[in-house]
Amino acid sequence: MKKRLLLLVANFLFCFALFAQNRTVTGVVASKEDGLPLPGVSVKLRGSNVGVSTGSNGRFSLSVPMGTISLEFSSVGYATKTMTIDKQQEINVLLEADSKALTEVVVTGYGTVAKKDFTGSASRVTGDAIKDKPVQSFGQGLTGQAAGVNIIQPNGLLNNPPVIRVRGISSISLNSFPLVIVDGIPFPTGDVSSNSSANNPLGDINPADIESIDILKDAASTAIYGSRAAAGVLVITTKKGKAGSSKITYDSWVGSIKATRLPELLNAQQYMDVKNTAVGNALQVNPAAIAANQHVGGKSFFPNYNPDGSMVDTRWYDEVYRTAYSQNHNVNISGGSEKTSYFLSGGLSNQKGFLKANSFKRYTGRANLTHKATDWLNLNLNMAFTNSDNNSPNSGSVPGAAFNSSGLGRIAFALSPNLAVRNANGTYNYTLNSVGSGNNLIGTSWSHPSVIVEKDRNISETTRFLTNLGAEVKIIDGLTVKSNYSWDKSYTENIRFWNPFQGDGYSAVGSAFNSLIRRNSWNWITTLQYNKSFGDHHFNAQIGSDFQNARTLSWGASRTGLLDPNFFDNYQGTFANIVAAGNSISQIAFESYIANASYNYKGRYYLSGNFRRDGNSGLAFKNRWGNFGGASIAWEIAQEDFFKNSAIGTKVSSLRLRASYGTVGNGNVGPYNEFTTFGSGLYGASALAWAFNQAGNGVLSWEVTKQTDIGLSASLFSNRLTLEVDYFNKHVDNLILGVPQAASKGVPGNSILLNVGSMYNRGFEFAISGSPVKTDRFSWNANLNFTSIKNKVERLASGIPNIIGSTGGLESASITEAGKSVSGIYAVRTKGVNPANGRRIFLDANGREVQYQHHAGATAWTYVDNGAVAPVITAARDAVYAGNTMPTWYGGFNNTLNYGNFDLALNFTFTGGNYIYNGSRAGLLDQRFWNNSTEILNAWTTPGQVTKIPKVIYGDNISNGSSFPISDNVEKGDFLRLQTATLGYKLPTSIFGRTGIKSLRVYGQVTNAFIITGYTGVDPEISSNGNSNLAAGIERNSIPQGRSFTFGLSLGL
Amino acid sequence: MNIFFKKTYHQPLAKFAILALSLTLIVSSCKKDFLVAEPELSLINEDAFTSPERILAQVNGLYATAKSGALFGGRYLIYNDIRAEEFRVRDFNSNTGATVHNATVQSSDSNLGNIWTAGYLVINRVNYFLEGLEKNKAILSTAVYENYKAEAKFLRAYAYFGLVQIFAKPYVLNNGASRGLPIRLKAELTEENNTLKSSSVAQVYAQVLNDLNEAEQNLPNTYGTALLRTTRAHKNTAIAVKTRVYLAMGNYAKVLEEGNKIVPQTAPFQNAQRVSHALEANIVTVFTAPFTTSESIFSLPMDATNPPGTQNQLGFYFNAGNGNLEYVINTTGFGIYSDPAWPATDARRTAFILQYSASIGWYTKKYSGTAPFVDFVPQIRYAEVLLNVAEAEALIAGGNLVRSRALLDAVRHRSDPNYNFGTLATGADLEKAIMTERRIEFLAEGMRYNNLARKAEPILSIGAGSLIQVADPRYTLPLPDVETYYNPAAEW
Repeated sequence: MKKRLLLLVANFLFCFALFAQNRTVTGVVASKEDGLPLPGVSVKLRGSNVGVSTGSNGRFSLSVPMGTISLEFSSVGYATKTMTIDKQQEINVLLEADSKALTEVVVTGYGTVAKKDFTGSASRVTGDAIKDKPVQSFGQGLTGQAAGVNIIQPNGLLNNPPVIRVRGISSISLNSFPLVIVDGIPFPTGDVSSNSSANNPLGDINPADIESIDILKDAASTAIYGSRAAAGVLVITTKKGKAGSSKITYDSWVGSIKATRLPELLNAQQYMDVKNTAVGNALQVNPAAIAANQHVGGKSFFPNYNPDGSMVDTRWYDEVYRTAYSQNHNVNISGGSEKTSYFLSGGLSNQKGFLKANSFKRYTGRANLTHKATDWLNLNLNMAFTNSDNNSPNSGSVPGAAFNSSGLGRIAFALSPNLAVRNANGTYNYTLNSVGSGNNLIGTSWSHPSVIVEKDRNISETTRFLTNLGAEVKIIDGLTVKSNYSWDKSYTENIRFWNPFQGDGYSAVGSAFNSLIRRNSWNWITTLQYNKSFGDHHFNAQIGSDFQNARTLSWGASRTGLLDPNFFDNYQGTFANIVAAGNSISQIAFESYIANASYNYKGRYYLSGNFRRDGNSGLAFKNRWGNFGGASIAWEIAQEDFFKNSAIGTKVSSLRLRASYGTVGNGNVGPYNEFTTFGSGLYGASALAWAFNQAGNGVLSWEVTKQTDIGLSASLFSNRLTLEVDYFNKHVDNLILGVPQAASKGVPGNSILLNVGSMYNRGFEFAISGSPVKTDRFSWNANLNFTSIKNKVERLASGIPNIIGSTGGLESASITEAGKSVSGIYAVRTKGVNPANGRRIFLDANGREVQYQHHAGATAWTYVDNGAVAPVITAARDAVYAGNTMPTWYGGFNNTLNYGNFDLALNFTFTGGNYIYNGSRAGLLDQRFWNNSTEILNAWTTPGQVTKIPKVIYGDNISNGSSFPISDNVEKGDFLRLQTATLGYKLPTSIFGRTGIKSLRVYGQVTNAFIITGYTGVDPEISSNGNSNLAAGIERNSIPQGRSFTFGLSLGL
Repeated sequence: MNIFFKKTYHQPLAKFAILALSLTLIVSSCKKDFLVAEPELSLINEDAFTSPERILAQVNGLYATAKSGALFGGRYLIYNDIRAEEFRVRDFNSNTGATVHNATVQSSDSNLGNIWTAGYLVINRVNYFLEGLEKNKAILSTAVYENYKAEAKFLRAYAYFGLVQIFAKPYVLNNGASRGLPIRLKAELTEENNTLKSSSVAQVYAQVLNDLNEAEQNLPNTYGTALLRTTRAHKNTAIAVKTRVYLAMGNYAKVLEEGNKIVPQTAPFQNAQRVSHALEANIVTVFTAPFTTSESIFSLPMDATNPPGTQNQLGFYFNAGNGNLEYVINTTGFGIYSDPAWPATDARRTAFILQYSASIGWYTKKYSGTAPFVDFVPQIRYAEVLLNVAEAEALIAGGNLVRSRALLDAVRHRSDPNYNFGTLATGADLEKAIMTERRIEFLAEGMRYNNLARKAEPILSIGAGSLIQVADPRYTLPLPDVETYYNPAAEW
């Protein structure tokens, strides 16, 4: 009835319109994705100011002139669509979600700016681009999505924080991870686990709740967050309800994952053959090389047999890795009236890793509400509750753990394949703290992985309450005051139980360490904004204040000497000893005042400037305040009359030149740096001890990043093709550097934080996106982004030629020196293997060839040219800068193809120009009792043989790079990966009938489908040292990446 | 659905009230101390010397630094034992000294760097402490002030002496003309002074003796408890260490001069001066809780509340139990285990030496307290002082060979009452027997390398499979990169 009435009215209007040489067009605008009506879509007659908005049911009605006209449909988050109509009265339009580059708004620090008025450099990724991916945190899903952003997933350990770099590495000693803002509050990043599980706080944000991620890159944009934004800013905005009837969606996926690219290892027979050859060779060099009771007839390794008589041939990978299954569910309800909108969601993620006993479980609940209380008062409230539970045995894959003797990544490589997993009676085969040696006369020292997997427990569980409350008051027209208070309260419980039988708990007879970290952080931002247009002049000015305070307390204890080890397997059991552990208190505060103003004339000329004054409690008291600011200009050429009237004017809807320059401070330096302090401890059982533990710096000041950005953006063919190009020069001065000190000075930590040195990142970013093919049935949307970047350290502290970076505290394979890219590989040059004798040839500092023979004592090192004894090759004397680890180019190529109800998405990522130190290869070729990769089968055996692998000599850990890094293990890191491939099918709405279902899409997805690379390690996207600035690009004993298959569905009600 | 605000607030006044309120809040929250965050668990330097109790705690802090597992609480001793012929590596873990054992350790080795760093941390903390003590001496009585200063200097000397022994050529090689260590006597708190040339070995010895002599003067005669007498330096501690230092210099006259202060001329060798010292009747007692016998002149305390760090515990290296038996006893011909001079009747054998299994071999359970490895770590025992005096008497021209023999017998007969050394007619014979006795008595107490080096004798390295002569670069541990990178002048 209602409909008829409407038609009647429409007809009436139509007649009336005819009368007035006008007519009325009506219709419904809906989302292409789910077919649901879209309220608030602007419907405009192209080339005029005539327009209306769709109502809550997606309907519109617009009076238009007779004849052929163009209607433009636009809405935030959707691609603008233009429809040409001649005589139709009714038109139904489907709008496509716009996930890429040129959308309508940019969420900056203290508000939202229309993209068209934004003069900085930013990229936007919508939540839809990541919500279906089998990841733990949204950061992992950003790979290849935005220009200028490089993301490395360090390895396949669940919830291991990704390494994210916006326009390169932004500091040397300070964190280079971008600042993450979630609904207005700076969010903690890094790893909050104190045991071998990884716990990335960003994993507490349910990716399905994310509306958008705005990545602010240049100084004009990041200055808004000044004090901590030098590494770029990720602004996360969670979803809000939209006016209209309530909408329920349910998203779910199930998936499986397996380890990829594990190195191929020797089997039992090959192992015994290689090692016995090595033993024989060693005894030839030095008959005393191996103890008399450790070999018989020049052999030390002998077969073992299973009860059925077959020879033991263990694939230890099977004890460590598995095919794992995961599932993920999200449900949300959203909707609202003109005054109030709501978004409510609940999520459950239960993921299992390909590493045994590695799991991630997250429960989330969220309520986002907005309310227009009066015509001058808007209120909003977001509340989120999260519980994330991370579990992992010692994988040796979190930063600092590369050389953990119980690291399963390495144990799986290194355990002898001729040793049995179990004894004949079914119990696990181990003795002391290692796998039982069977008939081998030289035992292994590796612990039994199955016992570690089954009996150790490493849990890091965070419970978090994140909320913010905001109000916006319109004082007079154009003048508003906005205040937003955010509160982030989290409790992280770290639980570590090490069994007394095998692994790290052995020598402590079982050990448990629990700690609780309580973090309380609040942020209060108040701004006063004035926004006014006078004719063609548009002004916007803002002043504001920003206060932040974060206080973290942790407490805990460690217990050892487990009593009744066959019963207790928890901290709460009875142990002989307990000592305090994991206790700390720290607090840091930031205080900032901001002012910014922008002006544009006719949407053609833009000018904006900002200034801020930042205070940081972590810096020296007298230098804690810093003043920063920037300016930007832009010229929208497409709005110029000469351009509009030119031949290409109709094809190009936007052509903009922009430039910005600004300074940003970096004070991510942690608390208390001013003070010279004494730490407390015990001397013996109970005597209090105070000891000097920090040399403070009473003048420590801000690190300053100066950034220039020149950019061009264009939008062509009714936005079917958009292009962005940027040149950036990010120059860091006054670097806060942990300047290494000669150890004999006895300065605690051998380093002092000083403001010295400078560095830059320069490069180009390109992003092009468009729809090469677009018909009603078939469409192809593509987005290609590419970044080229050059990093160079210009200056370090005086008298400090370089800074050495460490892997796992044991290996120094990284060097940062002036004139080169930060964190290069530091290795002794090698020159293959001497074909005459099979010895590894090293180059000394002068480039002279020196060969090495293990066990040869004083004559181990000899010159190749004359055989004379040479000085020992050492890293200190002979290692050189052997390659940059920072990629010089990277990007992504994302495609979405739609055919009828089918959709196919292919996301490629690529990176290159960098080198990786493949330290794992050193271990895989080590000539101790460790198992080797099959590459060892190419070892030198006969004079004249040309090969890359030296003659095997038992015990040799120098020729392969275990003792100090060698250039033979340096490899190029270039790769192209099909990151995700997704095939989806939207069921036709006609089949749902009266079921109440509005839409249903099912899809299958493969992640890490394939990789093309010359790199021989487990994966070129690797970082054994996690987010470290000084030791990047190292693979050392990490577990690999996984490949996963997921199947999902998305249901709309 | 008006859940937030009532409509009565509609008056424009409300807007301004909100504006005023937020401005007031901003102004009031920008209190002066908003940006001041002081550490709540660490003392700021100006608060560190404010009371006698805190100053005492700082003295304890100096000992605790020396006690580091990287240094005298573990690795220093372990490395000295595993470099020569008494132990064989079981599992080739370079993180637990395998490369030190194999004489292939590189200057880049982190654990090696950690020994150096820990040693100089003691030195700098002492230097900083001495400066602070000087400024705040009014807080303490003169006696206590002098006492603390002496303890600090004792520890500085002990650290320099420990480092110079393993990172430089032996003094006796050329009377200390070789490259020694950078000598730092001022507190280092800033980026200045990275470059400092190493002094010669002789200069380091001179500095060590200087500190020890001063320490001896002002250290207390004794302390109130056996625990303090064992774990804090007193006069006899400085004297005992001096016998060791002079012996390493081959200065036997001075060894006797110092040794005579605490070793009587004739048996029974019991010292009654200041703190009494004597051999325990049973050596096992020395290595049994509470580890505070009169024989233990100086030991570093461990406790369940204050255990040594991971992979630094003596028991972890040498004991089975829950130790990892990283190093097994060398039972082949040239190890002390097979020496006929160590019969099976010896208590040091019956009490300490055990077989784990036929394939794995033998080990010592001298450090019997496995997890959490709370055995005190011996630094100097009265038994060593006796043998130091015995050796000096044997080697000095016109020395008292009878006293030398009696001292040797005292140590031996404590563990094997019926053993007879036979005729030891010359000083050289005595020296040889004394050196063998040291190998037995101090097995796994971190003495082996230093005892070879102080005579510039070659190391019979099992790991290297050969003798390493004193001229060989492998004889001395390399100066670690953590020093030479930023102070290349240290190497010469």
